[in-house]
Amino acid sequence: MSEHEAPRYVLIWVVLLAMTLAEVGFAFMPLPKFWLATGLIVMAFYKAYLVAMYYMHLKWEPKRLWVMAAVPLPLAVIMVLAIITEF
Amino acid sequence: MSTTTVAEPHAGHEEHHDLGFVRTYLFSTDHKMIARQFLFVSLFFLLVGGILAGMVRWQLGFPGQPMPFGNLLPDTMAPGGIILPEFYNSLVTMHATFMVFFALMPMLAGVFGNLLIPLQIGADDMAFPKLNMLSFWITPVAGAIMLASFFVEGGAAGAGWTSYAPLSTSGEWTGVYMGQILWLVSLIIVGFSSITGAVNYVSTVINMRAPGMTWFRIPLATWSLFITAWLLLLAVPILTGGLILLLFDQTIGTAFFRTAGSGEPLLWQHIFWFFGHPEVYILILPAMGMVSEVIACRSRKPIFGYHAMVLALAAIAFLGWIVWGHHMFQSGMNPMLGMTFMATTMVIAVPSAIKTFNWLGTLWKGDIHFDTPLLHGVSFVSLFIIGGLSGIFMAVAPVDIYFHDTYFIVAHLHYVLVGGSLFGLFCGITFWYPKMFGRMMHEGLGKIHWVLSFIFYNLTFFPMHNLGVQGMMRRIYDPNQYEFLQALQPMNTFISINMFIFASVQAIFVFNFLWSLKKGKEAGNNPWKSNTLEWTVPSPPPHGNFPQMPIVYRGPYEYSHPDAEEDYWPQDMPPVSDTGGQSVGAPTPETVPPESVLGD
Amino acid sequence: MSHAAIATMDRSPMPGMKVYNNKLGMWVFLLSEVMFFTSLIGSYVILRFAHPEHWTDPGVVLNVPLTALNTFFLICSSVTMVKAFAAIEAGNQKALQMWLLATIIIGASFVGIQVVEYIALGGEGFLPALDAYHAVGRGNPHGGPALGGPLYGATFYAMTGFHGAHVSLGVIALIFVYIKSLRGGYTKENHQGVEVIGLYWHFVDLVWIILFTIVYLI
Repeated sequence: MSEHEAPRYVLIWVVLLAMTLAEVGFAFMPLPKFWLATGLIVMAFYKAYLVAMYYMHLKWEPKRLWVMAAVPLPLAVIMVLAIITEF
Repeated sequence: MSTTTVAEPHAGHEEHHDLGFVRTYLFSTDHKMIARQFLFVSLFFLLVGGILAGMVRWQLGFPGQPMPFGNLLPDTMAPGGIILPEFYNSLVTMHATFMVFFALMPMLAGVFGNLLIPLQIGADDMAFPKLNMLSFWITPVAGAIMLASFFVEGGAAGAGWTSYAPLSTSGEWTGVYMGQILWLVSLIIVGFSSITGAVNYVSTVINMRAPGMTWFRIPLATWSLFITAWLLLLAVPILTGGLILLLFDQTIGTAFFRTAGSGEPLLWQHIFWFFGHPEVYILILPAMGMVSEVIACRSRKPIFGYHAMVLALAAIAFLGWIVWGHHMFQSGMNPMLGMTFMATTMVIAVPSAIKTFNWLGTLWKGDIHFDTPLLHGVSFVSLFIIGGLSGIFMAVAPVDIYFHDTYFIVAHLHYVLVGGSLFGLFCGITFWYPKMFGRMMHEGLGKIHWVLSFIFYNLTFFPMHNLGVQGMMRRIYDPNQYEFLQALQPMNTFISINMFIFASVQAIFVFNFLWSLKKGKEAGNNPWKSNTLEWTVPSPPPHGNFPQMPIVYRGPYEYSHPDAEEDYWPQDMPPVSDTGGQSVGAPTPETVPPESVLGD
Repeated sequence: MSHAAIATMDRSPMPGMKVYNNKLGMWVFLLSEVMFFTSLIGSYVILRFAHPEHWTDPGVVLNVPLTALNTFFLICSSVTMVKAFAAIEAGNQKALQMWLLATIIIGASFVGIQVVEYIALGGEGFLPALDAYHAVGRGNPHGGPALGGPLYGATFYAMTGFHGAHVSLGVIALIFVYIKSLRGGYTKENHQGVEVIGLYWHFVDLVWIILFTIVYLI
């Protein structure tokens, strides 16, 4: 497994950097706020997904580990979305 | 991968540890010693919380009269022994704070999580013993800070244990400045005890189960503590975040919750209750688990519907995340959101009801031994039913709009937390005391304590339902200022007198506890003839618990099994003996040879 | 099976999560950290929905270019961290030490740049306290009406401040790991500490990836 990991890491690094630059560029485009926010959030979460899968090794860990890791996410979403309806 | 991919076994502790007094009793990493430490600290804070409650009840029962020993209090609290309104606000706040965070949580999770989890799953200790030690020591440190807050200028926090903004964001209205800050600091710190403890409990149960201890052979006490640990892990950090933001509002002048500068007081309520609702399940689930063990064992019957009991625990835990708004029906929150919470709250009654029916089903036609743990366990069930029923009433938003912030709520919460959690703790303590200390508690004293507690507890708290219906609001210093409440004074006095008796009766428990440490009958390994693994080792268990890791062949509730010689069948007893001794029948799919028990 | 056979058989625990205890423990702990940041970030999102007028367009008050560079640094430090782990997996002590040191230096630089940023922002009136907030925006030496409102400052410092605190604690932990590595404390067979601190470090990077986007770019 270690044999093909090293190039993987560098590749992921390049992708992360490219996406960061893309995000910065995208943020200043003349689009409606909603689409800007949605696009940026999608990009950010994809970057986070890459870090989790590759650098934190989830891709190679037992599936049950990333099922466990996913547990807080629905809670976070529920909390924020439910409370936003207040305002 | 060079690192091991299975949970690593822990070497048996054959060598004699002579660590000296400090490392054995003060800074121990042994889960059983840590459990005892939690027990003594939490019993102390239970006393503190009880004294605060006594003072609250004095004011309500004998308003404006000097309290016995009240002259010992400084004039800022009770000049001439007469409780001041500001001090009363601190009393109700701190009573709840100490009871929830420093008595119930450490006792339920700290004591029994530590004592039971490694023993019941066949492990020699927790996954992270040093972290466990840290987890304990955080609690008395945070508790000391909380106690200290009584003695600063302005006194202790007085905005309720829920610390709603904007009342809590400034001392302008409560007169409390430093006390509120210390309250926040103390709770931020004690949160780490819960979080680190939860990391330990979750990791230990997942990774350190003995061979054959599949998920559906884990005793319900451990299941409940495991699920409680998940709730702690995920809910407490939310509170920590909110407390930090509130602390910023108070200290560096931010306005997250202060109305000046567009802060949102409602956000505080949402954050608090998003934690607060899972918190109440944290406070009841361990008690449910322990009561399940005791009822099954003392009825000599398998728990009725073991799988349903596990799934019900999980369902309560899941649903508990989406009901928090039922604490906020009166807050001015979005009514559509409120209706959603009403629906989810009604649904969450179902798994609790399933558990209740299953406890009754376990007792039904059982060979019931009416000893003290069983009596407390059955009391738990009946009192929890009452508390749960009042909860159903309040789940319905229109009803809660009337009952919110009245004594009906106070009755409900004390039925579930005292009738439920505290009686559940009495059940657990009396049942596992022999395992912790090697001696039985005195049975006669235990029964006297139980019956008097049960009677005076109900006389104290049941009438509060009525007070609430008649409109008495909670946290109120002087109900007699309202003409419509003046007729309730005799009831308040009645309640107070019963509370003082109930509190005094606890002295029997304390005496029994201390007396039995030295004079109790020696317990032996398994005085209750229970099936679970902790009863296969000496009382108290030696360092390292098991001479070698046990092998588990069956579930924990094989009581009165037709194939077994006796009316119990320990989890680690092999299925067939080659000496022709206690033959227990041909191997069944449940009792296959050890190589294939490594399922999951 | 005979008792004799049972007594002598090799016993190991149930497979469980199929990862070693320390790794499982760190993952479980990180889940609690997710909830902690949810509390802070969630509050920000909610307050911003409730009072959007407190916020400005991106880049008006906050220094996006500098922070984008800082984000690049933190991502680099994740790479150096994972290189350190790969090094000890192969048994290469020298490379482990070198990559750990690189991670520490970059991590410390991240915090340093944030401190510099905080000082500059403070000087421009961008502060957390209600009464002190008077952000005049970047490159605007002449003052003027406040841009945005105090919730902008309060949420900004709460989120990035606690993230920075987590980075700082990570750097300190890395220093301990580095010192142990200098003494040959990690081997090809046993280097759990490196992997576990790596998980924490990547998590801190992950949180920043999200923070950078929603705090600086939206």
